[in-house]
Amino acid sequence: MTELALVLAGADERDLTRLSEYRAVGGYRALEKARGMDPEAVIEELLTSNLRGRGGAFFPMGRKASFIPKPDDVPKPRYVVVNADESEPGTFKDRELMFRVPHRLIEGCLITAHAIRSQNVFIYIRGEYLAEFEVVRAALDEARDEGLFAGVTVVLHRGAGAYICGEESALLESLEGKRGQPRSRPPYPAVSGLYAAPTLINNVETVATVPKVIELGGAEYAKIGAPPNSTGTRLFSLSGNVVRGGNYELELGTSLNDLIFEIGGGIPNGRKLKAVIPGGSSVPVLTADEVDTPLEHDAMTERGSMLGSGAVIVIDDRCCMVQLGLRVAQFYMHESCGKCTPCREGTRWMVQLLHKIEDGRAEHEELDLLLSVCDRILGKCLCPLGDAAAMPIASYVSKFRDEFRAHIDEGSCPFGGESSLEGVLAPVDQHTHAPVAEVPA
Amino acid sequence: MSAPELVTVTIDGREVQVPKGTGLVETALAAGIEIPVFCYEPRLGPAIGACRMCLVEVEGMPKVQAACVLSAQDGMVVSTAQSSSEAAEAQNATLEFILVNHPLDCPVCDKGGECPLQDLTFRWGPGATRMEFPKRTFEKPIPISPTIALDRERCILCYRCTRFSEGVSEDGQLIAENRGAASVIATFQDEPYKAPFSGNIIELCPVGALTSTQYRFEARPWEIQNVPTVCGMCPVGCNVHATTREGKVKRILSRNHPEVDQGWLCDKGRFAYAHVRARDRIADPLKRVGQRRYEEISWEEALDEAERMLRSAGGRIVTALSGSETVESAYALAKLLRRGLGAHSAVLPEEVDPALDAFRAPLSAIGEAEIVVVLGGDPVVERAPIVDLWIRAARRNGAQVLTSTDDERVRSSDRVALIWSGPGGEALPALAADLGIADKPGSAAFHLPETANGRGVADAWAAAGDVDPEDPEPIGLLIVSGDEAVANPAVRAMAEGAEAVLAISMFRTPLIGWVDLVLPGTSYLERDGTYVNLEGRLQRLRRAVIPPGPDELAWLAKLAERFDVELSPYPSQVFAEISAIAYGGLDYGLVGEHAPLPPPADLGKVQKPKRVRAASGKGLRLIAYRPLFSGPAVERVPELHFQRPGAEVELSPDDARRLGVANGQLVHVKSNGTSVELRARVTRDLAAGAVRVPGPYASDLGTHVEVSP
Amino acid sequence: MTLAEQIQEIAAGYPQSRSAVLPALRLAQEQYGWLSPEALREVADALDLTPAYCQAVASFYDMFHMKPVGRHLVEVCTNISCALVGAQQVLEAFESELGVRTGETTEDGDVTLRALECAGGCGWGTVVAIDHRYREPVRPEDVPTIVSELRDD
Repeated sequence: MTELALVLAGADERDLTRLSEYRAVGGYRALEKARGMDPEAVIEELLTSNLRGRGGAFFPMGRKASFIPKPDDVPKPRYVVVNADESEPGTFKDRELMFRVPHRLIEGCLITAHAIRSQNVFIYIRGEYLAEFEVVRAALDEARDEGLFAGVTVVLHRGAGAYICGEESALLESLEGKRGQPRSRPPYPAVSGLYAAPTLINNVETVATVPKVIELGGAEYAKIGAPPNSTGTRLFSLSGNVVRGGNYELELGTSLNDLIFEIGGGIPNGRKLKAVIPGGSSVPVLTADEVDTPLEHDAMTERGSMLGSGAVIVIDDRCCMVQLGLRVAQFYMHESCGKCTPCREGTRWMVQLLHKIEDGRAEHEELDLLLSVCDRILGKCLCPLGDAAAMPIASYVSKFRDEFRAHIDEGSCPFGGESSLEGVLAPVDQHTHAPVAEVPA
Repeated sequence: MSAPELVTVTIDGREVQVPKGTGLVETALAAGIEIPVFCYEPRLGPAIGACRMCLVEVEGMPKVQAACVLSAQDGMVVSTAQSSSEAAEAQNATLEFILVNHPLDCPVCDKGGECPLQDLTFRWGPGATRMEFPKRTFEKPIPISPTIALDRERCILCYRCTRFSEGVSEDGQLIAENRGAASVIATFQDEPYKAPFSGNIIELCPVGALTSTQYRFEARPWEIQNVPTVCGMCPVGCNVHATTREGKVKRILSRNHPEVDQGWLCDKGRFAYAHVRARDRIADPLKRVGQRRYEEISWEEALDEAERMLRSAGGRIVTALSGSETVESAYALAKLLRRGLGAHSAVLPEEVDPALDAFRAPLSAIGEAEIVVVLGGDPVVERAPIVDLWIRAARRNGAQVLTSTDDERVRSSDRVALIWSGPGGEALPALAADLGIADKPGSAAFHLPETANGRGVADAWAAAGDVDPEDPEPIGLLIVSGDEAVANPAVRAMAEGAEAVLAISMFRTPLIGWVDLVLPGTSYLERDGTYVNLEGRLQRLRRAVIPPGPDELAWLAKLAERFDVELSPYPSQVFAEISAIAYGGLDYGLVGEHAPLPPPADLGKVQKPKRVRAASGKGLRLIAYRPLFSGPAVERVPELHFQRPGAEVELSPDDARRLGVANGQLVHVKSNGTSVELRARVTRDLAAGAVRVPGPYASDLGTHVEVSP
Repeated sequence: MTLAEQIQEIAAGYPQSRSAVLPALRLAQEQYGWLSPEALREVADALDLTPAYCQAVASFYDMFHMKPVGRHLVEVCTNISCALVGAQQVLEAFESELGVRTGETTEDGDVTLRALECAGGCGWGTVVAIDHRYREPVRPEDVPTIVSELRDD
């Protein structure tokens, strides 16, 4: 289980942003092959490969594609939408992917369009990724000029700064020119998606993997990684208190321990590992004792966490877990779209409670109250953002309960101002330099 | 039509059968089970599942689900909070989260006592708070218009109001701003919410966040009475409740007639009731004693004077009617004049052709139509506001809305709604007959009259006699019935040449100097009687408050005695008389709370109207229309004046492009010598070749105008 | 091309013109410096929407400025990964060097300083976006140079 370049294949040796270079490593041959196949056969390969969503939901792409109705059954256009709104804290893999292998993404888009008989592809790219937008735009122009689109239009659409637009139905709302608030489901995008038409929406990395799946064939791809449930490779974003932060394409099933210590170089400055967020801020935390886990779906589930977006954030012993909880809660409060009650009100309440705990002014009952608030958000919201806020916070409390208790018993943060997250200013608090969630008396 | 497929759903152990696809909230209701909701309101479009109040357990689905977005499937097993502790916990959680920052305003909040949040908290919510942090506060209340106050602290962000603004009235002015916990309801740059249907958000709001400024601190729900009646401000006749306290009208609420108004009201009908207590309201009869001086006299003296005036007119009597009279008072007046005095000459508010009865259909038919044709030129929303909402609903349902019958789809479609809004409505029956409207169930033709009961008044006048009137010259006595007639310049002009003038009116100021005897009139809020609306539906008014003077029928009966005409002072008996002639003998007591619409009449021979030559001229045809927010009632309610149209001229997109005029640009509108500066508004509701200007700004302009930047 | 013409050209590239509201707002913001009421009205007119609608959409997104901002935007990510490697110190260095508090604009109207949620450069923290161009990694000692380069611009 190791580093294996499939999505990033050839990118170290050549400048794959250029069409000619990409062709030199076999680029766009998979597209030709796919266009010679029946669309159903392409979907079949995807199903066999068990390529699963790389954005965080881990839903099999082939199955998603098979939900798209045929033109005879539903006489509406079909849309391919690429979710390039990467905003999950810790995640920066799609950014590198788009910057270094834009043509592989484009090829994946065109193959996917063929698979569901679509003539329209939309790539929704995070507004902040300006450089990546320019690279992808240039690559699209190149590919279009080369006549590779064959009647398919590809629209590159920039977002404008909202994490929630990474949620697929909110993305569609935003793409339709509205506030990016998620929709109630059912109906699912495959039935009623963009402009109420059948839509296949997938993460950038998932789509960029499609050319390799077609090139190798689904069965071959499925042998890689940790079959049957976690096949292939994926990009892992490594960051935090680690020597060599960066994006690494690894076979699924690679040990988290190896990623942190072998590939990542371990913890710098002689510090010790304290905790790891293994899949982006939305997943439950793992303690240092739990890093001996394969990075694949079943093992992660057993650990009570998830693969998530593949973002591994390494946390050393300088970090106060209460401050971490607060910073994470502030993120979700800032990014909550406000549509549903539990998330809108609950994320703010969690921030207030965590402030109080961090300041040493809380009682033990308020720790229970915090857990109760998490529990009351869980499973009751319109979209997964509520759960993404509640589950991690609950995991910090349950796995680092002593640290939370110490704040209460000692009446202050045990780190005494020396924590790595001490005084970190969150966007919700700027303009006031005081917590927005609390009104000064 | 085949029967709908029924499915069986089990809710809290109870089995119920409903048509497949019925929403789960309605399905539960059918089983006698209430699922609490906030954001769910079917009239606002598809459910959005935002508030999370309606969470239930559904067998086979992993988490609790929002019932409002689900529909009945065969074999579904649902557990609501009544039988599922998980659902109960979830609903308790929703209420706890709503209340976490909701201010403890109940003692000072108008919604208290009729507040869904209070009610649901009692039934499903926590009894005590666990939130000890200071709640987030806002400046409050903010007037988002002179008639509506917004309290952002109370707002639970259910988005009903914004969905109404965007998806029903489609004015797009009320929005949600920012994101997450920082979200607030707002207007563009805090400008007033100026739109004819804004008041509906007060009724939609499930808490006291959007309240009526007129009703602020006026009453508590246990002190009031809601009188079921019908609005008399326009020919739609929306069904309303007049809320009264201690003998005064305090507010108007919708009573939801699904075929007529669907539960919506326009702001004129909702907010103009204060005209009933205007400062210049006449309580006693007035007799002119000088050029501009009037003296209050007793009713005995007034009736004596009226008798004298009627007799000395020598039969040269003309009656100008307003169209706001009830059927009964119009009939009583007509009977007195026609049978008692042979005075057959009347200026009726307008012609309403009974031939239209062959195309009779409820207004809701517009919502279901495939093709809607709007003719006549006047903006529908200014004449019969609710009809505009029906047209919008039709468009959202996929209907094509056209401005001419030239399109071949008008003939080929089975569900066509013709709407004539403007002068020239005499052409409508022949047009409708020609298009075969009468043969297509689901099709309809509507003429939008200018007055609330123009049809009923015409029926009443006709029922009292059938002698063709001769217009007397000069007029011995001009009887002006109702304030709209008093305000009519044509009537005023007639008065100049009349030997004497008698007016029945509510307000004093407009009468000064030209009326000799004034008898106090009443408002529709003060009368028992009937109106016939533009559908041809007879609806029942109920007296909400007692007028300052007697009801018209009371003194008309007394006056009629003097001329040996039998008239009852009771509306039920007067109605019986006219009902036998015009309404098939319908009993007054059976008109009903939500009056039905009689089926269409047989299509007889329809007269082809005389070809009216459209006035020709160079340039763009000018449509000068009477704005909705005008008239004696609105004039006396200052809070509504902001709704009056500005100095604007509406142009079609084609004309605007051709003339190089942008939306919002100041332009010159000229016609033979006069020029007016108006602000251009580009609207796609107008066909090319015509422009629209609100009447007050068009007074000097001719039939055709030139527009230039 | 006028702003309206540019917007209409973009709108033609979508099946429904309302989808162009995000790119339209961005264009208008570039032209006006921020989304002033006038900017919102222009976008509304170009797309046949109401100004209120445009205000509702724009205020939802972090990259749209509903109040005036400086000629330059300095945004420091303070989310988890960057915070763990000293983002707060970088932010404070900018506050000190620019003489403003986070969220505010320098008096000469030159620079607005903001804290950002995860910018997407986590393994190379601290990430700082200068007019949406990423600089990474940034240490507190790099800040004076960055600021002086910015001022020279």
